[in-house]
Amino acid sequence: MALPQSLRTSVTPLELELIASEQLVEIVPLITMEKTAFISGAYGPLRPPAKCRIPLWMATNLKLKKKCHIVPPEWLSVDFLLERLTRETSRPEFSKLPFRFAEIAKVVLDVASDDVQNADKIKSLLKDLREARQAKSRDGLQKLDHSELSLPNLCSMEINEIRPFFIQSMGILTQLVREPSAE
Amino acid sequence: MDNDYFSIDAILAENQKIQCTFKVDIPDMGHLAGGSDRDIKSLTKAPIPIWLAYIMLFSDWADFTIPSPFGTRVRNALKAEPRSVKLSNLVGAGGLWYGFGKMVMDILSEEQANGISEVLTKVHCLHTLCDVVNSWFIQAFKGRLLEVIDQAQHFAALGPAGGGGPSTDTAQSFREGLDGTERELFALAQESAKRMKRWHEGNDKARR
Repeated sequence: MALPQSLRTSVTPLELELIASEQLVEIVPLITMEKTAFISGAYGPLRPPAKCRIPLWMATNLKLKKKCHIVPPEWLSVDFLLERLTRETSRPEFSKLPFRFAEIAKVVLDVASDDVQNADKIKSLLKDLREARQAKSRDGLQKLDHSELSLPNLCSMEINEIRPFFIQSMGILTQLVREPSAE
Repeated sequence: MDNDYFSIDAILAENQKIQCTFKVDIPDMGHLAGGSDRDIKSLTKAPIPIWLAYIMLFSDWADFTIPSPFGTRVRNALKAEPRSVKLSNLVGAGGLWYGFGKMVMDILSEEQANGISEVLTKVHCLHTLCDVVNSWFIQAFKGRLLEVIDQAQHFAALGPAGGGGPSTDTAQSFREGLDGTERELFALAQESAKRMKRWHEGNDKARR
């Protein structure tokens, strides 16, 4: 294989971020632009101060040029995250969050923290949430089985993080469990 | 781990020796047993690498005893506390305890399947032994897995500057006792945790 060792085990977080950047977010444009065709579709027209839905990568680009304000998704708020955090800590299962919440939250907070209310509070909430969920996936490791593992509502970034060693250990377990044919 | 022809791990694991007792006289092969005798007499005991042992066992020229890394002592120790056993000491540096064990297990179940072991009661005995060893492997692996991952993540969190830190003696000796398979897992988990950490902490606006 031509890929370096580090890229063979799984997708990198940066690649996941790139994929998540295709998702649409709402912006308040500060410039006017006609409807424009891109490979992934046609977006626009941008008419301030009307809101518009465009892909995250484009929003990031415009934001960095100070040509728009990003409207944070509704789940990226203190209330929502606080509610999820209490649910996360009080119940055994993973609570439901947008599949790519980690990537989108990171990008939005990185480039547009001035558009997000209570950005610092949200950052610390996200961190708590991540740690609570990590503890749960660690518990999942105990229930690891050679054939299946069910962790519903796990998000893309978390799946990606545990993928390399979960796969490897399941592979080892498969080797250790004697095939029924040998019985 | 897997018994693949091209797997380096399998080749390394096959290099481990098991104690065999010859059932027949083998002429002109005395040098294999390491002695100065010309022939190998029956009932002689000699450690034989697994790759050679296969043919001898399946041809019914020899019997083997369960190697000490999988003996009762280790088994009981693992049952008591899987995390306190140093697997790497049992099979030598960089040894593959699980891979070796898997091969021993395969030989056991093969003998049982082929009915090579003559007496029926012995077959029955092998059967239960095989199952016991099998379930015991899985328990050992699962019991240690969590600690492996925990430590890997702990070390990833320390960052490049870390490494010292207040590591306790038990954690340290556990790390030293990891066998080759577990080491690989440790590296994987550590690399993945490091990558996540780098991503979470990085804020490369220049890239955008």
